[in-house]
Amino acid sequence: MLSVAPPDAAEIRCNAVFEALLWAVSRPGETQLLPAPGMAGIIETLIDLECTAYAEGEELRARLAATGALLTEDIGQAGYVFVDSLMDFEAWLPAVNRGSALYPDVGATLVAAASHGRGSRLRLTGPGIAENRDILIDVPAGFWDLRAQLSAYPEGFDLILVDGASAIAIPRSTHVEVL
Amino acid sequence: MSLATLTKPWAATSYGFLDASAKRELRRKMLKAVAVPGCQMPYASREVPMARGWGTGGLQVTLTLANPGSVIKVIDQGADDGVNAASIRRFVSSVSGAAQTWDTLDASIIQSRHRIPEEILRENQVLVLQVPDPEPLRDVESNISIARQMHADADYGKLWLTLYEQIVRKGRIMQGASYPALVNGRHVITPSPIPRWDVPKLHMSKHLTILSAGREKRIFAVPPFTRVEPLVFSDRPYLVEDHAGLTCQRSGLSGFFMNELPMDGGGSRFEVSDSNLGIKAIRRTEGEPDGIGDTWYRNGEYSA
Repeated sequence: MLSVAPPDAAEIRCNAVFEALLWAVSRPGETQLLPAPGMAGIIETLIDLECTAYAEGEELRARLAATGALLTEDIGQAGYVFVDSLMDFEAWLPAVNRGSALYPDVGATLVAAASHGRGSRLRLTGPGIAENRDILIDVPAGFWDLRAQLSAYPEGFDLILVDGASAIAIPRSTHVEVL
Repeated sequence: MSLATLTKPWAATSYGFLDASAKRELRRKMLKAVAVPGCQMPYASREVPMARGWGTGGLQVTLTLANPGSVIKVIDQGADDGVNAASIRRFVSSVSGAAQTWDTLDASIIQSRHRIPEEILRENQVLVLQVPDPEPLRDVESNISIARQMHADADYGKLWLTLYEQIVRKGRIMQGASYPALVNGRHVITPSPIPRWDVPKLHMSKHLTILSAGREKRIFAVPPFTRVEPLVFSDRPYLVEDHAGLTCQRSGLSGFFMNELPMDGGGSRFEVSDSNLGIKAIRRTEGEPDGIGDTWYRNGEYSA
């Protein structure tokens, strides 16, 4: 009979982060709690040497480099994009990889810091939402219009918005209406 | 950077059998699969101590999700005590420390081959379906590159043609299991060989469904509250199996999906396919509290 190897600390963290992310993507707009604040847990859970990643900020870049991921300067090459702020999104958002109708899985995951519970009021509809869900997210005006312009479903990018230990996901399948 | 920061302490086995890099890859692909409902995402499909085709895809998903607090239910054609189901459940439990159950309502992860339990799944439950052939277009287009282009173009005309030809030849749609269904109005999936009876249970459900094909190395998902519409013609309504009037010979249940057991002399008797539902019904006749939850079908009619 096998004896169970207990999960090590890293596996416990990664399992909890993954569960939070899986339910966040499954129910867009619903706040899920990460076991620890920040993006470090997401990097530890998802990123390794098979990934190409882009990040702004020395600390995030160092964390990504430690996973063995290929760090790129060209945001369009990255499968995973980590940014501290969405303030100057016009400059780089059009370059984010959105995959193609042939290969929707190539579309990037964009992990960004954004305050929950204040800012513009959004109405989300789509898979994972029974009818509609209203949330407050502090993302600059124009971001959602540009997202809609850039994404021709199933092309698009999947958004994970982190505020401390809270995470909200807005995958490409979600329709966002600014109220 | 030193060697110590790049390595981990030696361990005889990984928690949950799969190594950390296999789990990271699966986790990335599962998130993508949920983000694009019904779209087949390729993944590496690692070796597990079971032959491909016996549920390795589902097993890898379950092992990635499992933690010591999970409660695992595994069914094979509705039964918890089939050899395949019992050995998968024991294996998952022995490598993850997760608890085992037969009760649909107690489980946090339900891995299934070819059935969805009759009791309504809750919003915090994950249904993992083992898929032998994830490509709904395979019968009409054997070239996977062309099939991929057809998915990109949402070109599903040949599937409609197949259904039409069945009506012309036989007078009705003959497709039993793996009935093609349109997810979120965009991608057609084969919902694994679940009977037609079970397909409506995926539509706007509360639970998350992950479908994984280990041999074919593809994973796709149906998130909660997602439209799943079987392909039908407007003048030919979608019909589930005609089991509403059948009664289980062992438990007395009726109005659920039944297994047909041929008898000597040409007749047949029926047993409820969801074996744990049958057990609960037998307990009820013996006067014990049954604990049967709300079911998708009531009196043989889909009503959830």
